[in-house]
Amino acid sequence: MGRYRYQVDAFTDRVFAGNPAAVCPLETWLEAEVMQAIATENNLSETAFFVPDRNEFAIRWFTPVDEIDLAGHPTLATAHVIFSALQPSRDAVTFTTRLGDTLTVKRENSNGGRLTMDFPARPPALTDTLGDVATALGAAPQAVLSSRDGLAVFETEVAVAALTPDMDAVAALDCMGLIATAPGDACDFVSRFFAPKMGVPEDPVTGSAHCTLIPYWGERLGKTEMLARQISARGGTIHCGHDGARVRIGGNAVTYMIGTINL
Amino acid sequence: MPIPYYQVDAFTDRLFGGNPAGVCPLEAWPDDETLLAIAGENAKPGNAFFVPSQGEADFDLRVFTPTQEVSISGHTTMSAGFIVFEALGFPGDEVTFDGQAGLLTVARDGDLLTLDFPALPAEPDGPLAAAATALNAGPQALFTGLDWMAVFEHEDEIRALAPDMAAVAALDCRGIMATAPGKDCDFVSRVFAPGAGLPEDQVTGSAHCMMTPYWAARLGKTRLDARQLSKRGGRLVCEDRGERVAISGQAVLYAQGEIEI
Repeated sequence: MGRYRYQVDAFTDRVFAGNPAAVCPLETWLEAEVMQAIATENNLSETAFFVPDRNEFAIRWFTPVDEIDLAGHPTLATAHVIFSALQPSRDAVTFTTRLGDTLTVKRENSNGGRLTMDFPARPPALTDTLGDVATALGAAPQAVLSSRDGLAVFETEVAVAALTPDMDAVAALDCMGLIATAPGDACDFVSRFFAPKMGVPEDPVTGSAHCTLIPYWGERLGKTEMLARQISARGGTIHCGHDGARVRIGGNAVTYMIGTINL
Repeated sequence: MPIPYYQVDAFTDRLFGGNPAGVCPLEAWPDDETLLAIAGENAKPGNAFFVPSQGEADFDLRVFTPTQEVSISGHTTMSAGFIVFEALGFPGDEVTFDGQAGLLTVARDGDLLTLDFPALPAEPDGPLAAAATALNAGPQALFTGLDWMAVFEHEDEIRALAPDMAAVAALDCRGIMATAPGKDCDFVSRVFAPGAGLPEDQVTGSAHCMMTPYWAARLGKTRLDARQLSKRGGRLVCEDRGERVAISGQAVLYAQGEIEI
């Protein structure tokens, strides 16, 4: 039977930019092996599946190789599908995750229907235990911090844009992924995100990295509202809010493809 | 303007097997940047775009990996032929595409699709040491052409390969195939093309345009049963026809939809 599949570019307002995710609305969960096979076949960094859960939804995310517990851009993409195609009268949606977390996404009526996710903050602390970050990135950062991910802070946007990391060396560091960041020329801060350990040498736009970037830059700049750019080849724009233990990660999303899978 | 999109698993008879390809039938060519952007966004090992031909072929065909246009791709062309037959209501059982590699035919006989492709030449005495270093293994011989072909003694050596992908990408070729006699078939292979955005390609029709003449001459037979030993795996029936090679397999439709650009 046919099942719907959407492909959405998240953290952008135009196709071919931002970070693509596949989104599959279901009535009930498929076997995990089938969802994994679909995610592998889709071959995007993540495929999100969701089912009705009381008046809201339950969500799960699969990379081409594994199920994961939390993901930002596919959640934004899923909310976009609900708001734009499935339940256009809504302006907020709540997802329950496999770990029992709840994630809320709200839609603004202004700003091109921008979507904002409410996520936990993961503030970073100074560290010297990640390994040789300077050699892995091929350039020496001003400071190295860490939370789930490593955070390498540079002085200028151009220094971050010029990085050509040694991916094997990045994968050998003692952190899940490595964020490189600097003050932005035309925004509050810029970043790039490298996660070769997860099969993603460079992620185009990374919602979850902003759980760490927002508290760092919020403290450093003394701001609660910030504009960020992830300066990957595809590029993305992230509207950031710093609320202490929580962060707001906002962006636009655009539908690239609508279709059906033959199962 | 919406663009129709199909996703096909080629060289398999079951969903989630073989090698996936995106297929977009078009009325006219958009600019090259758009084709490349669609192929990148689709993130499939092969993407076929075709338009009605003004020449002797039925359609003009262009094929892309996620990062670049390539001159020839067997599983992508087979997928395009499958869609022409199964989704577009094409009359007859033989469709001809005009591509960078010349005229390519896909014929249908029941569930079986057969590609008629050019035999690709293989020059002997290639740089064996460079190939050995990149593959982390010692082939007996190295041939060069569109791709490089490293010939090994045993199927087990092919299964065990763990190439240095950065070194493979730096070789002066589109990709490198490793091949050996098969235990349960005539020959087996694996194909690595990290420079074209495909660290390991799952099932590679065009590689068999180079391997078929080699194994046909070496084994003294024209009809060969081949397996590609990738994770998803593929089975191909190959026939040496002199200047041409026939490669047969099945295909399955995974998804269809519309691209909104």
